[in-house]
Parts: sequence; structure tokens; C-alpha cells
Amino acid sequence: MTSSKKVEKPQGAYIKKGRLYVKAVFTGFRRGKRNQHENTALLKLDGVNTRRETNFYLGKRCAYVYKAKNKTLVPGQKRLNRVRIIWGKVTRAHGKSGGVRAKFRRNLPPKAIGRRIRVMLYPSRI
Amino acid sequence: MSTPSTKAVPTGDKSKKTTTTTTVVKTTTTTTKQPQQKSLSTLAVGSKVKKPKTTASGKKVVNSHSNRLLSNNGLMRFSRGRMFQRRALYRISKWKDERAKLKGDKTKKTAGSIQKKKQRLSPLKKKSIGGERNGKERLVRTKRFPRYYPTEERPKKFSVKRKKFSTHPRRFRSSLTPGTVVILVAGKHAGKRVVVVKHLSSGLLLVTGPYKFNGAPLRRVNQIYVIATSTKLDLSAGKFDELDDKFFKRVRPAKKDAEKDIFDTKKEKPKLREERNQAQVNVDKVVVNAVKTHADSRLLRRYLKSRFQLWNGVLPHKLQF
Repeated sequence: MTSSKKVEKPQGAYIKKGRLYVKAVFTGFRRGKRNQHENTALLKLDGVNTRRETNFYLGKRCAYVYKAKNKTLVPGQKRLNRVRIIWGKVTRAHGKSGGVRAKFRRNLPPKAIGRRIRVMLYPSRI
Repeated sequence: MSTPSTKAVPTGDKSKKTTTTTTVVKTTTTTTKQPQQKSLSTLAVGSKVKKPKTTASGKKVVNSHSNRLLSNNGLMRFSRGRMFQRRALYRISKWKDERAKLKGDKTKKTAGSIQKKKQRLSPLKKKSIGGERNGKERLVRTKRFPRYYPTEERPKKFSVKRKKFSTHPRRFRSSLTPGTVVILVAGKHAGKRVVVVKHLSSGLLLVTGPYKFNGAPLRRVNQIYVIATSTKLDLSAGKFDELDDKFFKRVRPAKKDAEKDIFDTKKEKPKLREERNQAQVNVDKVVVNAVKTHADSRLLRRYLKSRFQLWNGVLPHKLQF
């Protein structure tokens, strides 16, 4: 790379991005038999089956990604987009079998139950 | 000196009375060459006065170096400071070194305070006053009395000793040493494998692709958006002293006149400074060299050119990075 005005990007720059989040499912809100608390969501992470395994994911940011009818501005994009996100984070383990609790900035809508949630790999502690 | 208690006070070196009498016996150590130790035998060896092993009544003499429990809860007969004196720990070299250090600092203080004292002004000073009939000079206070004495105590402000955030210590994960290959997990270059060049004083990492390999430039990155791998490169050949936060700080263009800018909707694209381009070239030279000289150089080159991805069956909590 020289100090010319036009900088050519190396071939290595054009490789497509792959998945950088862990797949999870929103299984429901924190609840007892008859009362539910919508401020805390329960997530089931792909491939995580014991409480010990959840340690890696504690504190990681998670996102509920969905589409809406009206287009809105998305940070980082110039064009208006239909994609919307509710951000949150994994707070603690839930139960023995790898379930996890998460809190989102706004409570998740109940129609998200059973739907995909992305658990990011950051903030990383490794 | 007779004591009412059965435990006799040994008259060895640096002995002090254990009873309530106010007089304290201080004997300077002259004969012991070794620092005082706990065992009775060593004391007896070097000391001037021979300690009796049993008192007159036939009971065993208790070592002055030992402490004892007063109650079951852990209350000791002698406090820490007292035990320090009884065991004469001020004689050991470790304590002496510390003492010397402290004294060193103290002399600095006293030197400053001495200087301050010298600069003290006299309370009154002469001031010349104009006007014919005012007497040409007057004695006036150098420091005036305050013109307001509050009746209540003012609420205390934040103490100035509080550290600024900029001076807080920044810590880096032990896995993120310079030369480590690292996976960027967020941002424009997410998924790229990249090399840590340096730790910056702001707590950020300085990171480079190298640019030739994966298009990742010399860039600052927060540690939390980075996964450290166990692959390390040797970057000791390079010196990156000029690369600090100031170097990478965004330079905002100076504000133009208001008249010119109102109808001017074109925003100039920020161009990268020449020195940053040059720095990229310089750093990449070092890094690429380190890759070449590495044992697995061919593999490493491909590794840095590839992307990190998750796919079916790949679970990050089970990955060994």
C-alpha cells in the first residue's frame, strides 16, 4: 500500500461476512405458574445444555431482529430500512439446563416467543 | 524486677515489661549479631544476660516473642504493634529498607516545606499613597481579612484528590499481549483476524490486518470487541512509540465563516493523513516480517486472510481460541 491517492483494496477485503452471533430462541418471560414478569426474557441458546456452559454467554449482548412495515433509519446505513432491533443483554443463567435470562431495553413483544434472537460474541471476556 | 504474674519477664535483649507498671525497660542490643528470632535458644546464645529457663518457683519461662490468645474469639494479648516491638522486627533488613524508602519521601516533603517557610511574607507591607495630605506611606496588610464570615459551615465540595478518568489505570487482558492474533467480533471489520500491535494509554488496542492480507487498517479497537487467540507473533523488531491516542484522534476541520457554509451542502470527505498511511506501511512491514519468520508462516498468512465464522455445530463456548 503506497501513498497514492487511489488506494486499492486487497482481495482479502472482499470476503463475505459470516455469522458472528449465536442462535437463540426466545422461549418466554420469567414467570411462576400464574404470574409472569415481562421485564426478563428467557432464552434457549443453541448447543448450550448445562448451566456451566452458559458462563461464556453471560453479559453478551443480544438482539431481537424484526421487520416492520414502515421504513426507518438504521444507524450505519444511509438508506431507510425495514429492519428493526431491540437490544438487550444476557444477565444470568436460568435453571440447570443451559437456559439463560436476558433483559432488553424495552420488553420483548410476546409475538417474539419462539422466534430467533441473536446473541452476539461481544462484550468478549476471552 | 519482680512481677506478680507467674510468667517471668526475660531480661534478654529489648525486653519490655508485660505488667501494668509504667516504667519500661529498654536495653540496647549490643551483643546479638543475628536479628532476633522466635526460638529461645538463639536468644540465649547471643544475649548478655542469660535468661533463666525456669523461674525460682520452678515454672517454665515464657518467651517474650510469643503472643497468646486471651479469649476464644481470637483476641490476642499483645497487639500487632506491640508484637512488632517485642520481636524487634525493626532490626530486620526488610523493615529497614522500607523505612529508608519512607524516609526518602519524607525528606522531599520537608525540603518543600522549608522552601515554603522561607517564602513567607511579612504580615504588613508598606504601600505608597497619593495625595498631598495623606501621609505618603501606610502600613497595610499583605493579606486582607475576609470580608465575609459565614455563620454556617459551607457544604464540602468534592475533594480535589479524586482522580480524573483520564488518569485511571487501564488494564489489559493478559491474553491480549502485543503480537497476538485476535478476532474482531464487531464493527466494520467484524470476523477478520487481526494482529495486536500495541496497548494504548486510553485502554484501547492498536490493531492492524495487516492491510495487505485482509483490508483491516491500523486502527484502534476496544478490548471487549476482540477475542484473543493463542497465536502469537513476535513484534519485538518494531518500535511503535509515535503511535498513541493523539496520533489516531480524529482531526475536526476548523470552522469556516458562517456566510460561506450556509449554502454549501457539500461535506468534504475526511481524508486520511499522510503520516497515518505511512505508519500503516511501517507497521505492516514489521508484522508481515514476523509472519514470514514464524514457524507456520504459510498457514498463518492464510489464517490472517480468512474470516472467522460460526456455522452449524460450531459453539463458541466449546471453541478453543
